[in-house]
Amino acid sequence: MNALHEPLPQGRSEDPVLAMERLLGMANQIGDFFAPYPPARRAEGIRNHLRTYWDPRMRDALLAHIDGGGSGLAEHVLQGALLLRDGEPKKGYYGPPKA
Amino acid sequence: MPNPIKPERSVVTTCAYCGVGCNFKAETHQGRVVRMIPWKDGKANHGHSCIKGRFAFDYYNHPDRILKPMIRDSIDEVWHEVSWEHAFEFAAARFRRIQKRHGARSIGAVSSSRCTNEEIFLVQKLARAVFGNNNIDNCARICHSPTQFGLSATVGWGAASQHFDSILQADVIMVVGANPTEGHPVFGSLLKRRVRQGARLIVIDPRQTETVRSPHVVADVHLALRPGTNVAVLDSIAHVVVREKLYNEAFVRERCEWHEFEHWAGLVGSERYAPEVIGPQAGLDPEDIRRAARLYASGPNSAIYYGLGVTEHSQGSTGVMCLGNLSLACGMLGREGVGVNPLRGQGNVQGGSCLGSWPHVFSGYRFVTDDEVRGSFEAEWGVTLDAEPGLRLPNMFDAALTGHFRGMFIMGEDPVQSDPNQDHTIAAMREMECVVVQDLFLNETAKYAHVFLPGSSSLEKDGTFTGAERRVNRVRKVVEPLAGLQDWEIVVKLMNAMGYPVHYDHAGQVLDEVARLSPAYKGLSFELLDRVGSAQWPVDENAPEGTEVLHRERFPRANGRGTFMLTEYVPTRERTSDQHPLLLTTGRILSQYNVGTQTRRTANNHWHAEDLLEISAGDAAVRGIKDGDRVWLSSRFGATQLRARLSTRVNPGVVYTTFHHVETRVNVVTSDLSDWATNCPEYKVTAVEVSLVAPAGVAAAGRGEPRREGARAGAQGGNAAPVAGHESGASRAEAHA
Repeated sequence: MNALHEPLPQGRSEDPVLAMERLLGMANQIGDFFAPYPPARRAEGIRNHLRTYWDPRMRDALLAHIDGGGSGLAEHVLQGALLLRDGEPKKGYYGPPKA
Repeated sequence: MPNPIKPERSVVTTCAYCGVGCNFKAETHQGRVVRMIPWKDGKANHGHSCIKGRFAFDYYNHPDRILKPMIRDSIDEVWHEVSWEHAFEFAAARFRRIQKRHGARSIGAVSSSRCTNEEIFLVQKLARAVFGNNNIDNCARICHSPTQFGLSATVGWGAASQHFDSILQADVIMVVGANPTEGHPVFGSLLKRRVRQGARLIVIDPRQTETVRSPHVVADVHLALRPGTNVAVLDSIAHVVVREKLYNEAFVRERCEWHEFEHWAGLVGSERYAPEVIGPQAGLDPEDIRRAARLYASGPNSAIYYGLGVTEHSQGSTGVMCLGNLSLACGMLGREGVGVNPLRGQGNVQGGSCLGSWPHVFSGYRFVTDDEVRGSFEAEWGVTLDAEPGLRLPNMFDAALTGHFRGMFIMGEDPVQSDPNQDHTIAAMREMECVVVQDLFLNETAKYAHVFLPGSSSLEKDGTFTGAERRVNRVRKVVEPLAGLQDWEIVVKLMNAMGYPVHYDHAGQVLDEVARLSPAYKGLSFELLDRVGSAQWPVDENAPEGTEVLHRERFPRANGRGTFMLTEYVPTRERTSDQHPLLLTTGRILSQYNVGTQTRRTANNHWHAEDLLEISAGDAAVRGIKDGDRVWLSSRFGATQLRARLSTRVNPGVVYTTFHHVETRVNVVTSDLSDWATNCPEYKVTAVEVSLVAPAGVAAAGRGEPRREGARAGAQGGNAAPVAGHESGASRAEAHA
């Protein structure tokens, strides 16, 4: 299949796509929702939400922040976000995974 | 009395105001619309109408209409009128230049519920197939995006389960965060009719609305909760249902995931959601919470109707899930007279949701990350599509401030006026290198635009709208487009100018493409709608003329069962303080519509000439405020002025206003907090202070403009007092409807 337009570079600046303070606030809010779930479902729920709804640049910025220590991020959000690196196929998704 | 104007022609079409979707006969005389007659065969309105649809149509012919395309190099220059071709070439060259320098994902698009399904679908196609990214959003982002998320998670589809007439078989009606007698008047009348016939009414709303008490109709229970405590109160209602075993065990076992029900029952059944615990937090009598729970669960047919008072919160999606959970637990889905139903604020905001103007799903709510789904769109459109979700509208503005987002196509939207924290939005708009606005009027956002494309009103184009009851209804061209092109034609020509060759003979061919790519719309066509009048999706081989009631046998989820979400209450971070001790909430009034772009340009404006701040007598007295005084309304984001009205409709500690007038600038005050799942702004809860404006000539210290703690430095220019006749756009602004 031919792409209509020439391949274009995907972004340029080294700074995060959204201010880190905003990303951390959003990530922790997502963590607040999934907090009552058992640990494995909680982590997968956070991962799935980030994968389905966040622009990849937002996810990359969050992971880079975690690599730098992840300050300001709730521990269970950090654990869920790290699952983004597990390489599972991407699927769209509403709500937490089933038990 | 003889009719002074004899109509020459009459066209049946659909009202473009609220989400009820009334049909009208639009009558013309000498090429001009002179009368809108409610159509008795309209399946949503049965010949009824409100004073917006009936009388407020003349905006389309208002002298403020812009009828020529315009461009300018920078937002500090004056506009130059140009030909359509020149405007398209200018916009296309700028967009391509930005993408070459900053990447494919550096531009995006926003569509509008003021536009038809066909137009919304094409804007999605513009972003995905031509821009080559998924930076596409629509105004449902700021109103009912939590509905899509919360109902999809629990019952499978983010839309009303019923048709409007279903309410005539309801025994108990629960209205949450909505005021249908003002916001959805024709449906509001149907609701009141059913209550007069004996149905019981529960209203959950911080304010004593018309729905709570009006002649002949009084709610059995009114939970006047403190703004921001929806989830706590709905969990507390669920607590009573669980603890008193009022749930429908047979329904849950047969139709739902039982183990998820048990998880949920464990959460809401815990002591922390007992009415005696939640009541004091929410400002309610615990016994009223118990009464509401028992009444709802007793049915036998109980129906939930809700609005933006549920969704526009930091826990908006959780609030919607609470309603999904509750209706599943009590077995109130899958037949006439029951259901969970969002009252959509705008004519086609349901269509905005269905037609794929989202960064994560195509039309038909199917994920861009799904290879098979994306493949079907790639085959139809002949291009490779981005497999990753794009930026949402608030993310676009945030990314503009970091330099990652530099160009935007905006159709029929006015984000500067309708989005929260206006100073922040303006600062983001000023950073962009190419903003293209397609609208009827030079709206607030157009002040920051480089290209203006004159759009067409719903009286000037062909297409379809999808109402709040999933009803797809024909919009028919009554008069020729004043600026020469229908909105969908403008989008196609912009696509062509950007190098994507596509052509449609008429809007019906766009709907045919929608039908090929979206399962719920599969059986829809202009031909079908012209034959049967209108049809509620899903329309397919199983339901060739549409579906009135959803979920009769199964829920549209993989295993066919409804499920329960854990809805823990997390209080908003927006809190009252010594500086901002009151909570502001907002709503609409019958005669005006949203930011008023259309209704203010008609005689309806005489019914509601200004927005007033409702405040309780006690809160007013301690501030020295009398009825009719001009006051400052200030938050940590900004301040604005309006007149106060002493009112018993609001409880002490709560103030309320409408947002129909540009001068009120309520969104200077509203916060930038948003829903955890969807980023829908938290319009309904802002901590504020109210103070008397110094009378003319008095400039005593402490009586001038309130100090704006934490206010952003975005007010540099462009934010001056709006000039009359130069305000908002053809836009919507579901903002707090």
